[in-house]
Amino acid sequence: MKVIRTHDLSKTYNHLVVPVKALVNVNLEISEGEFTAIVGPSGSGKTTLLNMLGGLDQPTSGKIFIDDTEITGMKESRLIDFRLRNIGFVFQSYNLIPVLTAIENVSFIMLLQNYPKDKMEKRARELLEQVGLADKADVRPQKLSGGQQQRVAVARALASNPRFVLADEPTANLDTQSAFNLLDIMLRLNREENITLLFSTHDQRVIDRARRVITLVDGSIVEDQHFEK
Amino acid sequence: MKILVTLAWRNLWRSKRRTMITIASVFFAVALAINAQSFQQGSYELMIDNMVRFSTGYLQIQDVLYEEEPSMDNSLLVSDSLLISVRPFLKRIAYTVPRIQSFALASTEAATRGAMVTGIDPETENRFNSLPEQVVEGRYLAASDHAVLVAEGLAGLLKTRVGDTLVLIGQGYQGSMAAGKYPVKGIVRLRIPELNNNAVYMPLSAAQDFYGAENRLTSLIVMPADPGDADRLTEDLSAAVDSNWYVVRSWKYLLQDLLSLMEFDTASNMVIIYILYIVIAFGIFGTILSMMIERNAEFAMLISLGMKRRRLAMVCLLESLFISFTGAIAGAVLALPVVAWYHHHPIPLKGDLAEMILQYGFEPVLPFSADPKIFLTQALIVFVMAVIIGFYPVYKIFRMKTVERSNR
Repeated sequence: MKVIRTHDLSKTYNHLVVPVKALVNVNLEISEGEFTAIVGPSGSGKTTLLNMLGGLDQPTSGKIFIDDTEITGMKESRLIDFRLRNIGFVFQSYNLIPVLTAIENVSFIMLLQNYPKDKMEKRARELLEQVGLADKADVRPQKLSGGQQQRVAVARALASNPRFVLADEPTANLDTQSAFNLLDIMLRLNREENITLLFSTHDQRVIDRARRVITLVDGSIVEDQHFEK
Repeated sequence: MKILVTLAWRNLWRSKRRTMITIASVFFAVALAINAQSFQQGSYELMIDNMVRFSTGYLQIQDVLYEEEPSMDNSLLVSDSLLISVRPFLKRIAYTVPRIQSFALASTEAATRGAMVTGIDPETENRFNSLPEQVVEGRYLAASDHAVLVAEGLAGLLKTRVGDTLVLIGQGYQGSMAAGKYPVKGIVRLRIPELNNNAVYMPLSAAQDFYGAENRLTSLIVMPADPGDADRLTEDLSAAVDSNWYVVRSWKYLLQDLLSLMEFDTASNMVIIYILYIVIAFGIFGTILSMMIERNAEFAMLISLGMKRRRLAMVCLLESLFISFTGAIAGAVLALPVVAWYHHHPIPLKGDLAEMILQYGFEPVLPFSADPKIFLTQALIVFVMAVIIGFYPVYKIFRMKTVERSNR
């Protein structure tokens, strides 16, 4: 089943001195349960593509479908709600809420979703356990290492039971061991829970583990490789 | 809602110093504004109190023509009809102070001076302005005396002492000649310099004899049982008395020049307070702005995750409310002992400033007003001001573009 489909997706930034084509006619399909890395040099359009797929930015032309719902042109208030229920985000800088503990950060998404309160804490603890941080549930982000914060961010991304998770350079700020730990967890979640994961990355460690690698150059897909792993 | 309150509360304490600085800004604004207002209003209250107690009373009944031409010919007759019309309001009246006064020449062997000769009821005058306490030499008057009290300044000018005889010559009722010789029974030191240099007091009946104005008064001061009832009592008495002969004037009317002066002074002081508000507002805005810059990426991330802008705006607004409320309450609470202290222990003035204030006839002290309205108004103004500034983050959140911010 196709979770993401794009049709001739283009994005041009016109507010710069010279208009910049960030994406040019990108046609892409991501199936359920895929573990995909989007790679390419800086400025190739990786982050722009992820922003489009996450409904954070609107394309200049083209369409995006999540399952069968077209999100291009959707009103912001509907889009926020759509993101909340369908898309998980993992950011390069973790972006946890600094004043909330690990478990509160994970529960936060469920609170926004009006998840039943009696089940919320149980699910948040389960998610923290899945990322190996059950013992850090009541710790605030500044007391956690970078790798631990990113694992909390993964747990948070999964809290809403999203259709897919978008991760923008998730290992860029992590040391080797933390990056491997994070990748192991994400791979396990992908295999065991059939969670669809889409990364933008420069990191060879991520690329080596991905089952599909899409290469972008100057806003266009130049290579789309599938691997059996 | 609980999570929004939790977020707002914890956000306040993630940068304790910034929060404390903002609270302190609100606190100082409220405390300073309360003290400034309290100080100003306290001075005015004292002025009004002095004037009401020593000069006009809360309200006066006069002859309708007296204001236009304050002469003995326009004195009022204490008639049965007047007494009957006042009777229904006796419960609301604490006491009345009858006075008859006009100018006369006062002479001794040494000198002659113009004097304001006032006939008083010694007992009610005592109740009204504690005149016996001002006696510095000799004794106070009794109702049946045929004698006078002379103000200390005038006594000096006339070179007269207790036991001397004062000759008074003036114009009485309907052009009659007013003349008489009166022994000086006492010397009084009056607070108002102008009065201290020209006042002569004698018992009411003696004064009515002197002016040939039997049963007549130039004014009947009415002191209400409740000073707060003065305005309504003025209205009620005005409606009750015969308006062809009598008019009832409130202290606000009698002291309208003073009140206009106070209003002008209040306006100029308000300019200073507005400047204070503006300075404080920019202080609060500065801290709010630094908070916004620091948390832009976080706000964008929260919107990206699926938090609605209005809920995020609510968090920021709650933070502003917490800060403003805490600062406003703390400012009002901590201003209270200062105001209370100076309300009960007015600041005494010395030197030239004291002299200048004495010239105006007021006590040279600076009391603070303890009117609760001042606390409420100032705390509310600064609170509302801080809340309005708190809408800046709300505005920014609704205009924020999430993409540039959340990818950081």
